[in-house]
Amino acid sequence: MKNRIRVLRAEHEMTQEQLAELVGVTRNTIISMEKDKYSPSLKLGYRIARTFGVGIDDVFTYEEDKDGPSNDE
Amino acid sequence: MKRLTCLACTLSVSVMVAAMVGWSIPAGNLFVPVIAIPLGMIVILACRRNVQEVICDERLNKVQSKAALRTLEVVVIAGAIAAVILYSFMISDSLNPKVTGRIYPGENGTNSMTINLYKPGSPETPENLVRTTTIRDINAMNESEAVNYCQYRREAFLENEQKGVEGMTIGVGLIAILVTFGAFYLYYDRKY
Repeated sequence: MKNRIRVLRAEHEMTQEQLAELVGVTRNTIISMEKDKYSPSLKLGYRIARTFGVGIDDVFTYEEDKDGPSNDE
Repeated sequence: MKRLTCLACTLSVSVMVAAMVGWSIPAGNLFVPVIAIPLGMIVILACRRNVQEVICDERLNKVQSKAALRTLEVVVIAGAIAAVILYSFMISDSLNPKVTGRIYPGENGTNSMTINLYKPGSPETPENLVRTTTIRDINAMNESEAVNYCQYRREAFLENEQKGVEGMTIGVGLIAILVTFGAFYLYYDRKY
């Protein structure tokens, strides 16, 4: 799962700490998502999209070719 | 209150409660744990409520649950192996002869001692008695008396140390679980 959180954050001149506070997670979670190490839940995805005032598709892109059964392990 | 302050507060309260409970049980004072444990829980909960930062989120939950699951797997396997080894020790322990001893005050101010050696894994009855050694004066014993005395002291020490060994086993087990969990936590925290 790729995302544009870093870009959207830069556009909105928002720090990781501020975004984390707005969506109710820790800063480490935002860092992990920006590094594509962690895929958020649908709920958190919607919260992030709503914070930036865009649709969820504008934040997250599903990469079918990179998805596999052992991806989550 | 910050998250780290809350963590430090939780740790200090836990250590204090553990110390108080640890002291009160051998002292026979049962009121201390009854008061200290709920009070400690209230203080910890109050600390957590006063934290303005996010303490736990879905990523941390995922990391913790994965670390906990892996720890459980490791502990169950290691525990099963350790249990088999320790149980085999317990079975073989009954093959050792049972040694008992008793001190009798003498007439001229000396102390004599009788050491009885019983058959392995048998009750301490006269028919199971293998050998009896009497030390006339425990302050002036000969070589064979000293050997018997040493064997008796060793048995006595083993019995006395059993409770300590049990406590140490529980303590070391808990530390091992915490260390394993910590290692897996750090691994998954870096991974996600």
